Amino acid sequence: MPGEMAHHPQQRQFNPYSENGGTILAIAGRDFAVIAGDTRQTEGYSIQTRYAPKVFTLTDKAVLAVNGFAADGNMFVKKVKQRLEWYRHAHAKDMPLRAIARLIQTMLYAQRFFPYYVYNILGGIEDDGTGAVYSFDPVGSYEREACRAAGAASSLVQPFLDNQIYFKNQKAAPGSAHPTHLPLSTVIALVTDSFTSATERHIEVGDGLEMYIVLASGSSGQGLEGVKGLRELSTKGEAERVFVIRRDLKKD
Amino acid sequence: MSIMEINGGSVIAMVGKECVAIACDLRLGNQALTIATNFEKIFPVTDRLYLGLPGLATDVATLRERFRFRVNMYTIKEEREITPETFARLVSSTLYEKRFGPYFVEPVIAGLSPVPSASGKPEKWEPFIAATDLIGCLNFAKDFVVAGTSSDKLFGVAEGLWEPDLEWEDLFETISQTLMNAVDRDAFSGWGGIVHIITPDKVITRTLKARMD
Amino acid sequence: MDHFPTNWGRPRNEKHDAYNTYPLHDRPYNGPKDSFAEGVQRTQQPIVTGTSVLAFKYKDGIMMAADNLASYGSLARFKDIQRLHPVGSYTVIGAGGDMSDFQYIQGMLEDLIIEEENTAADGHKLGPAEIHEYLSLVMYQRRSKLNPLWNSLLVGGFKDGQRFLAYVDLLGTTYTSSTIATGYGAYIAQPLLRKAVEGKEDLLTEEQAREIMEQSLRVLFYRDARSLNKFQIATITAAGATISESRTLKTEWAFAEGIRGYGAQVQ
Repeated sequence: MPGEMAHHPQQRQFNPYSENGGTILAIAGRDFAVIAGDTRQTEGYSIQTRYAPKVFTLTDKAVLAVNGFAADGNMFVKKVKQRLEWYRHAHAKDMPLRAIARLIQTMLYAQRFFPYYVYNILGGIEDDGTGAVYSFDPVGSYEREACRAAGAASSLVQPFLDNQIYFKNQKAAPGSAHPTHLPLSTVIALVTDSFTSATERHIEVGDGLEMYIVLASGSSGQGLEGVKGLRELSTKGEAERVFVIRRDLKKD
Repeated sequence: MSIMEINGGSVIAMVGKECVAIACDLRLGNQALTIATNFEKIFPVTDRLYLGLPGLATDVATLRERFRFRVNMYTIKEEREITPETFARLVSSTLYEKRFGPYFVEPVIAGLSPVPSASGKPEKWEPFIAATDLIGCLNFAKDFVVAGTSSDKLFGVAEGLWEPDLEWEDLFETISQTLMNAVDRDAFSGWGGIVHIITPDKVITRTLKARMD
Repeated sequence: MDHFPTNWGRPRNEKHDAYNTYPLHDRPYNGPKDSFAEGVQRTQQPIVTGTSVLAFKYKDGIMMAADNLASYGSLARFKDIQRLHPVGSYTVIGAGGDMSDFQYIQGMLEDLIIEEENTAADGHKLGPAEIHEYLSLVMYQRRSKLNPLWNSLLVGGFKDGQRFLAYVDLLGTTYTSSTIATGYGAYIAQPLLRKAVEGKEDLLTEEQAREIMEQSLRVLFYRDARSLNKFQIATITAAGATISESRTLKTEWAFAEGIRGYGAQVQ
C-alpha cells in the first residue's frame, strides 16, 4: 500500500560528504616552515588519481594544506585565495600569516552548521621572521604549533613527530638541552620518513609526496643544496623564498 | 563502544640481533575511568618465551590461565619445552575454537627459538615474534608486531624508529620510545609501561617511568 | 565509486537493497516534510540510470566511450540512449547516473555555450578546462543545497595543443588522471586501462587506443549486468570532437556452457 509506505519511509538520505584519504603534515623551524602532503586521492578502496595536490601556496610566505573531503577542500582553498586577493586590492600588500590564520578560522566557523569537512594546516613565515604552523579543526578551532600531522594517517605520524620534534619521552644528555629549533635538513628527513612510514602502513597514503619549503628573508637555506626533486617557485628575488620538493612514494 | 576498548591497553614486540623485546602499558580502565596502573599484560610462558595479551581484562585473566594449563600439559606429555612456533599455533587454535563467540584479546608472542645443532643442545637461538587477531589469524612478522588500542600509533612510530639487527640495549631504547610515544597519544593506554628483553642467557625486565595523564 | 548509481552519495551499507531493486520497490518518502517544503521535489534517488563511462589519453588526444543503455532499476529500459555529448568545439562529456539529470545538464551547457560564444562573440571559446570548472561548480552548489544532480561525469577535450581529462560527480568531487573510469568501470576497466595506458600516453596511436577501449568495453559487458554491448566511442583531437555511430561488439558465450550458474543449466 502506497499510503502505508508514507508512514514508514525507508529514509536513506543523501549524504553530502565523502572522505578522500591522504595525509598532510607541517613543521615550523626558526626561520623556515615545511608543509607537506601526499598526492593520492581515494574513495573507499579505489584510487581515483595518483596526483591530486593537497598543498597550495597562498602568498609569497603562506602555504595551506587541506585534507578530508576533497570537494570541500578545493572549494575552501578557492575561497581563501579569493579573500586574499580582495585584501591585496584593498591594502596593496599580502595579508600577514597570523591574519590569514584568523581569516581561516572565521571562514570555517561561518559554516559551523554545515561544515567544510576538512582539516587545515597553514604554514609560512610570520611578520617577525619566524617559521610558523597553524592547525585547524573543521569548524575553525585553531592553534599555533611547531608541528602537526592531519588526515588519514595522522594517528601514525603525530606520535612519531612528538618524539622526534618535541623530543617527548627523551632526556637530553647531562649538561645539555634539546634544541628548540631543528635544522632544515633534519626536518626534511623527518618529513620524508614520516610519509614513507605512513605509506607502508596506511592504504590511503602513497603515490607522491609534495613538500613545500618557505624560507624567511635572510635565511641561508642551508640543507637544501643537493636535495633531489627540488624546485624554486619564487622568482622575483623577493624577501621570502618558496621551494617545492616532489618525490615518489610507493604506489601499492 | 568496542569491547576491545573497554579496559584499554597495548602490547608491542620487536626483533633485534639475537634478541627480542616485548613491552606493554600498565593501564586498566573501565571505559574512560582508570581503575589501576599496575595491570601487566605480558606473561612468561617459558624461560625464553613471553606472551602479551591486550584486550578485555576478564579474557586476559582467563586465557593466561588457560595457556598456563595447556603449556603445562604439553610439557608433561612431550617431556620437553614448547617452542615459540608451536606455542603460536597453540594460541591460534585455542582462539579459533571460539570462532563464533571469541575471546576479546589480540595476543602477541615473543621469544627465542632453538636452532637444532649437532650436539643436541641448542647453541644458537633465533628471534621469533608473532601476533594474532582475536580469532587466531597468525601474523609472523620479521620486524615488529603491535596490538591493542594504540596499535595504529604503535605502527606509525615503530615504522619510523625500528631498524634491523639492533643490539639488546638499542632494542630496549627503540621499543621503549615506540611504546611511550604511542600510548601518550592514546586515551585508553599508558600510565607506565614494562619491557622484557629476551636474550639467549638472560631476560632483562625494566619498568618504564612514563607520563601518568 | 560505487557501480550502482542508487548508492552514490549515500552511506555505504550492504544491508539496504542488496539486490538493487531500486527504484522498482519501496522508494523513500518524497512528500512534504513541513508546510514550506510543499511542492519542492528533490532528486533523492536516480530513476533511469546509465552505467560506466571510460576515457583515457592517447597520442592525438582523448578517447571516451559509453554504452547506449539507460536502465530502470534492473530493467534494461532504453537501449538507444546517447551518453556522450559534445560541448562547444573542443569538448565531449560522458555521463553515468541519472539520465534526466544528465539531459538537464546538457540543456544547461547549451545555454552556457550560447551565452559565452554566440552572445558574447568576443572570439573566446570555452575549452574543456572551462567546461569542467563550470560543471564542478554547478555540481558542488547543488550538493551543498542537498539537491544533487545524480551523475558522475567525465570531461574530455583538446584545445591549444593540450589534452584534458577530468572527473566530477554529484558531490562535487573532482580529479584528473590519464585514465578514468566511472561506475562499475572503476573496478573492472580502470585496472586494465592503467596497465595499457600509463606511461604510454604519448605513444598510443588511435588504432591502438581503440583496441584497448574495445577490449575494456568487452570485459565490462561480460561482467556488468547493467551494461550493453552497444556503445559509442568519442575522440577529441586537434581535428575536433567526433562521436561515432553506435556499434555492437562481438562477444563469445560458448564458455558459459561449462560453468555452472552462468549458462542455462538445470543443475
